[in-house]
Amino acid sequence: MKSAWRDGDRVREVVLESLGNDRYRVRVDDEVELEVAAEWLEDDRLRLVTGAGAVVAEVTAAGDRRFVRLGALDFVLERQADVARARGGRGAAGTAGGLEAPMPGVITRVMVTAGDAVRKGQPLVALEAMKMEHLIRAPRDGVVASVAATPGTLVSGGATLVELSAGP
Amino acid sequence: MFRRVLIANRGEIACRIATTLREMGIAPIAVCSAADRDAMHVRCADERVELGPAEARDSYLNIPALLEAARRTGAEAIHPGYGFLSENAGFASAVESAGLIFIGPSPESIRAMGDKRAARDLAVEAGVPVVPGATGADVAALCAAAKGMGFPVMVKAAMGGGGKGMRAVSEEGALVEALESAQRLAASAFGDPSVYLEKRLEHARHIEVQVLGDGQGEAIHFFERECSLQRRHQKVIEETPSPAIDETRRERLVFAAVALAKRARYRGAGTVEFLVAPDGAFYFLEMNTRLQVEHPVTELATGHDLVRAQVVVAATGKLPIPQPAVRRHGHAIEARVYAEDAAREFLPQAGRALRVRWPRAPFVRVDAGVESGDTVSVHYDPLLAKIIAYAETRERALGRLASALDDARVHGVVTNLPFLRALARSPAVAGAKFDTEWIEREFLADFEAVVRAPAPELALAAAAIAEAAGRGAPTGVGARTGAAAPRAADAFESAGRWRQRGLER
Repeated sequence: MKSAWRDGDRVREVVLESLGNDRYRVRVDDEVELEVAAEWLEDDRLRLVTGAGAVVAEVTAAGDRRFVRLGALDFVLERQADVARARGGRGAAGTAGGLEAPMPGVITRVMVTAGDAVRKGQPLVALEAMKMEHLIRAPRDGVVASVAATPGTLVSGGATLVELSAGP
Repeated sequence: MFRRVLIANRGEIACRIATTLREMGIAPIAVCSAADRDAMHVRCADERVELGPAEARDSYLNIPALLEAARRTGAEAIHPGYGFLSENAGFASAVESAGLIFIGPSPESIRAMGDKRAARDLAVEAGVPVVPGATGADVAALCAAAKGMGFPVMVKAAMGGGGKGMRAVSEEGALVEALESAQRLAASAFGDPSVYLEKRLEHARHIEVQVLGDGQGEAIHFFERECSLQRRHQKVIEETPSPAIDETRRERLVFAAVALAKRARYRGAGTVEFLVAPDGAFYFLEMNTRLQVEHPVTELATGHDLVRAQVVVAATGKLPIPQPAVRRHGHAIEARVYAEDAAREFLPQAGRALRVRWPRAPFVRVDAGVESGDTVSVHYDPLLAKIIAYAETRERALGRLASALDDARVHGVVTNLPFLRALARSPAVAGAKFDTEWIEREFLADFEAVVRAPAPELALAAAAIAEAAGRGAPTGVGARTGAAAPRAADAFESAGRWRQRGLER
């Protein structure tokens, strides 16, 4: 079974093969392969035994996210629909530029309208969340293609607020 | 003594206040917004009154609704907690006008200390040194003042305490934008666009003194707290005693703080904050006219319950104990657990907390406002809990804190626990070699490298195996995450598989 997971800035692929008796062969990113014996303990805790020893994991799903506790360490992974799309989409969309709401909040100001030429670093939209004002700035020079933000409205994290097209 | 007290707050502080009230035989009454009907602070109280919609200005900042709630429930006094209306003179005075007791200072004290210029004047009168600064709503005048004192400067809302919305400006070009932003925040949060600006001291420490006054000119102190471990002017880890000052300097600091509290005829608990320069010179920063978030370290090291002290002063007008009865032993240190993603510039996180486990160990105290199943809302401060460790020495207290942080688990919402664990194990923290900017200047880069490292393959294996086994209950790939209201199915995710099987039957 193949699955893709966002791990911070990267997308990682896991191929899981059942060997029967709760044993699995796990291949990660076509690089690392390990054999794991899995045993379910009380409270949905998962004891994993590899050649290197045993560790208890706790996996909690929240939407696409998986909160994974491994011993005393915590990780957050996000289930992706498929590897190719997840990897391609990230690079092409260039959303790291920050035209999306970085968190849920209320739009307090919109400083541009469609058609405006903007310079890299110019503030476009102000968002207030948890008593802090956050400025969404242009990630590069360009022209505002559309503005989806209206002052006073509540937006969810990841909502696209402004779209930029390449400059003239 | 009071029989019923209304707590005009939410989260961990409302729960913590309710505990002491109950101990004193006083019935705690909770208030909540529509978003908080099922919140932990509501469960901590005997009764609850819903104030209004989720937005703070319609609920926790809604003075008429709060007074009506007190009237309806027969509360004799109101405890404001910290944040929200705790430093709002208008609220304190409305409470008094309604014939109720405000558990805190007089409206005049709140007004005087909330106005940075008046507070500075008072400090000067009490013989306490101050940092050069200016205040007002006139951007041009503030710019001129900044040029006069030289960059960098700090800009913040003139009204209200805490680090929210405070920022450092290192050059003239960025000043106007910072001033305007602070003005908007000040206007929306406090209804007054005045901005305060002051010379920024570099490599300074933040050390504060806990005081308690009777409102008639008598005041005592509960020693100092070291609060220099900050990120963007938000305290992260606090401790007492401060490892940075010797006995002579400590005596001068607490003497200055008590002198100020006496001069102000201060009533109730308050905190006098100082900046301490590398050369040991100290300057009055501000006085917070409320209970501080970090008050538990003082409680653990002195054995005195500060909420109880607040209630006693409010009810009797007398200090519960004389100064010689305040003694300090050992070392206490606190870490603040926030719903913040340290891997994504500490953005506040919302969602539903699952599988929450707070540490339980000897000499470890947890003040929590969230347990499993509770929603962390975008509308309020993202503080989930405070974990406080006590030991005979600083070294052992810090070690105990690190273990307690390891034991804490919060799933469902991303927290700053990995950041706190790394801080608690940092050699610079162990050696007390930090100032208020150390985290951003030195620690964050190292931490980023750790937090951005790939997860171990075994973590990915665990996620994939859980999915294959139908555990960890995926609720559908492609489902939106984030601020969306949790779906009903989530309720069974953390409950375990047997529950789901039961449902299928």
